[in-house]
Amino acid sequence: MALLNRSDWYDIARDTNWTPKYVTEDALFPPQMSDCFDIPREKWAGYDEPYKTTYREYVKVQREKDAGAYSVKAALARMKFFEGADPGWLSILKAHYGAIAVQEYAAGMAEARMARFGKASGMRNMATFGLLDETRHGQIQLYFPHEHVNKDRQFDWAHKAMHTNEWGAIAARHMFADMMNTRDAVSVAIMLTFAFETGFTNMQFLGLAADAAEAGDFTFANLISSIQTDEARHAQIGAPALKILIENGKQEEAQRKVDIAFWRSWRLFTVLTGPMMDYYTPLDKREKSFKEFMEEWIIGQFERNMLDLGLDKPWYWDIFLEELNDTHHGMHMGVWYWRPTVWWNPAAGASSAERDWLEEKYPGWNDTWGQCWDVIAANVAAGREDLLLPQTLPVICNMTNLPIVGRPGKRWKLRDYHLDYKGRRYHFGSEPDRWVFEQEPERYAGHTTLVDRFVAGLVQPPTIEGALQYMNLGQGEIGEDAHGYDWAFDYQNFRKQAV
Amino acid sequence: MNDKNAEGHLHNRVGPIFRAGELASAAIEALEEDNPDKEFFIEDRTAYIRVVTDKECVIRRDTMEDILGRPFEMQELETVLGSFSGQIEAEEEFMRFYFTKTL
Repeated sequence: MALLNRSDWYDIARDTNWTPKYVTEDALFPPQMSDCFDIPREKWAGYDEPYKTTYREYVKVQREKDAGAYSVKAALARMKFFEGADPGWLSILKAHYGAIAVQEYAAGMAEARMARFGKASGMRNMATFGLLDETRHGQIQLYFPHEHVNKDRQFDWAHKAMHTNEWGAIAARHMFADMMNTRDAVSVAIMLTFAFETGFTNMQFLGLAADAAEAGDFTFANLISSIQTDEARHAQIGAPALKILIENGKQEEAQRKVDIAFWRSWRLFTVLTGPMMDYYTPLDKREKSFKEFMEEWIIGQFERNMLDLGLDKPWYWDIFLEELNDTHHGMHMGVWYWRPTVWWNPAAGASSAERDWLEEKYPGWNDTWGQCWDVIAANVAAGREDLLLPQTLPVICNMTNLPIVGRPGKRWKLRDYHLDYKGRRYHFGSEPDRWVFEQEPERYAGHTTLVDRFVAGLVQPPTIEGALQYMNLGQGEIGEDAHGYDWAFDYQNFRKQAV
Repeated sequence: MNDKNAEGHLHNRVGPIFRAGELASAAIEALEEDNPDKEFFIEDRTAYIRVVTDKECVIRRDTMEDILGRPFEMQELETVLGSFSGQIEAEEEFMRFYFTKTL
């Protein structure tokens, strides 16, 4: 059967706009759900999605993608990779699935918002496929870890994490809800699909795939890179929206929203992706450092695209570049120290060979973070496990819900950025975090971090045990050192030899 | 502060990032054929292959058919197109990656 060329019918078929007669325009497209920038609907007619697809093409291509992902999994299941995998690598899988799988469904709701409330018919069309994409990502990233649940209860957190009050889950929900689920369709287009999906998802779904392939986990490498092919398409919902906004004099507001989403994404990745790439991935399997992957995907690729679309660098660019050297090291140390409060087993990644690598990638690491790990290694050697575990909770940022970290040792730098708003003092881990709050205080003011809840008496009994219970972490789920402190003995022996 | 990173986005390197495999190899061959005046740099990271050239490049459906020796729909390339640097124009007969501004 001969088919028409897509270009012969696409514009007519997808152009489902009509003029409402029984309701007002604002009733059909309420600004708070549709377009807070208030661009007239006729202007949205100029929206031209650059990466088009049709339902026939979509089904054919997605079927092929799924066949590839599931057949690789089935074939490699016989290789027994799991049984021989480094515990640090398994922690990457646990953290990844728990932080991301269920959020894919939330991303589906964000796509649904654009599919219903986008004033541009091209946006609605692409977001309909984006909704199907995110449903696929939710299903497949719950299915893949499920086979490991009978061997290791922490894999159950692929499904469980986002339904708990675990602190990392609170942080992820707060950030994703801000960017995806509490905004109008146009804001979602530029904050989620442009800032997050043409930018940061590349780090977690392609950068990490390079490490996975090196580590021999081809099932995971194949899965996440397959997911990113969907992202590459539906992420293109954002670029034409940005063009319309800029054409209609909304560049400043668009820039502000992209800057908010960029910073919030960056901060979440310092606790999720940074430790995975620089500490959990076995040393001989690391393709690049976290900073080098950031240079490739975010500075070299995403930032260049921002300029091409008519935006500028975020105002905090210098702060961001400086943070590339530090923030994720602090987040990692915090996660390792408070390891009973996470659903994976953090790998310290501080053996003598790993420290050499860190010093090479981050000159000055030994004089800063290394000094803290010296103390931890000495406490391990002295058998003082009481000093290796937290007695209380850290100070948490009211924007990121993550610990406020600075830089220890010889280049000490630690600062609390606070703000008094309506009688309450808020604490922030950085100037941009405080700036995000100031853009829309009422959006954020009511939220309480885990520590706020602790202080308010919501966590009972007010002990670490009570906090673990509040976070729904039970025996067999709470995190331990991934390698049973082996790294510390290695480092102590190294130091003795050096003396 | 790192001076290299302060300038890290000031370039014109454009191009697709593929998942490795038969289609990716064919697409790289097509890029060389369809853009004879361009020089391509390939960064192979096992899980993905970054293809880089200056400012603009195009992959044509006809060229892909010749290389693969079978009918080919441009949309099939999506199965291996993990990401791309620059803007995209994905049409039935070609896929193009480009920058509108030269830095």
